[in-house]
Amino acid sequence: MTEEKDKDEKEAFEKSSGKTYSLVEMVKAPLTMVDKGPDDSIFSFPIVAIWEAILFLGMMVFLIGFSLIKDAPLEELANPLITTDPAKAPWYFMGLQELLEHMHPFFAGVALPGALVVFLLLIPYLDQSKAGIGRWFTSERGKLITKWSSIYAMIVFPAFAVIDYFFPPREIFRDVFPSWVTQSLIPVTILVVLAFLPVFYVWKKGEGKATARELIIALFTVMIVAGFALTIIGFFFRGPGFEMFWPWDMPAGYSPLDNL
Amino acid sequence: MLRNNPLVQKLVNSSVWKSIFRHGWPDNPLDRSLIMTQNVFLHLHSVKVSKKSLKATYSFGLGLLTTFSFLELTLTGILLMFYYVPSVERAFVDIVELQTTVPFGQLLRNMHRWGAHLMVIAAVLHMVRVFFTGAYKKPREFNWIVGVILLLLTLGASFTGYLLPWDQLSFWAITVGTSIAGYAPVIGPPMQKILLGGAEVGQESLVRFYALHVMVIPTFLLLLISIHLWRVRKDGGMAASEISDENEAA
Amino acid sequence: MTENQNKTKLSRHQFLGIAWFGALATLVGEFFAGLLVFIQPNLEGGFGGIVRAGKVEEFLPGSVNLVQAGRFYLVRNGEGGFIAYWQRCTHLGCSVPYEEEQAAFRCPCHGSVFDEHTGEVTGGPAPRPMDIFPIEITDGEVFVDTGNPQERSAFSDDQIAYG
Repeated sequence: MTEEKDKDEKEAFEKSSGKTYSLVEMVKAPLTMVDKGPDDSIFSFPIVAIWEAILFLGMMVFLIGFSLIKDAPLEELANPLITTDPAKAPWYFMGLQELLEHMHPFFAGVALPGALVVFLLLIPYLDQSKAGIGRWFTSERGKLITKWSSIYAMIVFPAFAVIDYFFPPREIFRDVFPSWVTQSLIPVTILVVLAFLPVFYVWKKGEGKATARELIIALFTVMIVAGFALTIIGFFFRGPGFEMFWPWDMPAGYSPLDNL
Repeated sequence: MLRNNPLVQKLVNSSVWKSIFRHGWPDNPLDRSLIMTQNVFLHLHSVKVSKKSLKATYSFGLGLLTTFSFLELTLTGILLMFYYVPSVERAFVDIVELQTTVPFGQLLRNMHRWGAHLMVIAAVLHMVRVFFTGAYKKPREFNWIVGVILLLLTLGASFTGYLLPWDQLSFWAITVGTSIAGYAPVIGPPMQKILLGGAEVGQESLVRFYALHVMVIPTFLLLLISIHLWRVRKDGGMAASEISDENEAA
Repeated sequence: MTENQNKTKLSRHQFLGIAWFGALATLVGEFFAGLLVFIQPNLEGGFGGIVRAGKVEEFLPGSVNLVQAGRFYLVRNGEGGFIAYWQRCTHLGCSVPYEEEQAAFRCPCHGSVFDEHTGEVTGGPAPRPMDIFPIEITDGEVFVDTGNPQERSAFSDDQIAYG
């Protein structure tokens, strides 16, 4: 600290022998509790502890109840010679397995999920604004973007899966184009375009005023909802031979719920 | 009041009690602060919380739910270890025996399985909540990163546990899952081999997945969950406390 | 002070600091290098050796035979040549069953289809034909080296072994 500053502080907060306290430091940032009134916060103990106990008890009641109703699945002993039909990954990877059906495994299994994780890690650094912290969807606009991105993704990605299932470029152009065109270029391009379309729309509509937060909301919503939709399709709508069926109309007595 | 019960008073005033808890009965601001700061478990909380962050429709308690399911899984998992041997000859038989002859064995396994699914769902929903409430923003960026790693670890814990019953379901799910890893350029094939301990899913894979599932991943989960919760307090509590009244009106 | 002087004048304090941290970094580095070596799988023994499939005349020309011990299909074509396909799907590692009515191998995981004569992909997402094992025919017996699976991008005649 320079001497001049020292002087300023001395003048503003003169030391007095009658005081039992003294100035230790000037804080530049606003204190968390400033301007919030005395009633805004409460002691954590015991109210938070009680809420936590209630939540824990509720969870245990739910888990024990569910465990009494439904048993964990156990099929026959593992046999490396016979593959079960269908062979499915755990349900939280069914979105990935569904993607694997539509493109080269490098993109479906490595590049796209890798890009998703990198995007997740970058979110706080891409969006540096402090607007709307602690507020669901930031603003009314954010709410609208979330809503329409969800509806869009909920329609477009299942449509992608179904159309690609019935008219797979991989089979249609098998002997026309090399496999890197039909298995990588075409499906990956379609998927990336579909994912970024809402982002592009928000950016265009905002005429340069769309915030980073709004663009990221669009992309994040599309990714999460697409992942959800593909997981549902892979889990409920894929049966023996990994063919598409209605979940209630599976052949050979197969039920998707056996795979939990 | 419990506090006025003579037996309770005697207990609280005993030198043993006082050697453990270095504060008085928490019915006044000072002791309510001390109970938080002087307790290794409770000190992950802040002494005071904003009323806004307690609103159920703000957080839906999803982070807590994830933590609690982790605790439940640790407990049931340790109990399951008493009856399980990770060998291809015994694993499947052990699970069948656990379900048919061990008292509460089936219930325990069910709770572990469904608890694992619950933890994955709660962790994903928690991340979605944090994203949409903008709770990753400055100064909470690093805690978001920790959260993403925690989500990946949660998936890893669930995936490694999936192989352990050694039935057809687990065998082929892991075969498919690890083959995906093999497509990563350069590091893919060696990573797949290291994970499986061989060219195919077999005894070596079972032991490796077991070690990862019961020791390696839970250790990192515990460590990172602790950092995650501690950072919530250090970064100024839950983001809801930063909603100013004008922001809310807007 | 110029930069040059700065570089040459390393205080004892600084030197020891660098030395200690260097030692610590070396230790951590050694640990991870050792770990990497430690967790390398031992691939010897079991499936992966040379498997005796049987006598040549046991396999009819134009037949597809599963040899369970070696996890491969031994296919004999019309001219009497042999080829051994690893049972493992080149897509995601599922075991591929043979379907007689389609005269093809069809993977139940993602529906990849492989031709029975060449092992080439005729449908589904598999990125390359079925991997093959080298075949050695000595004294009228067929030996297959399952420790040495060979990836290929297409079928060619030199992959067929004649007795």
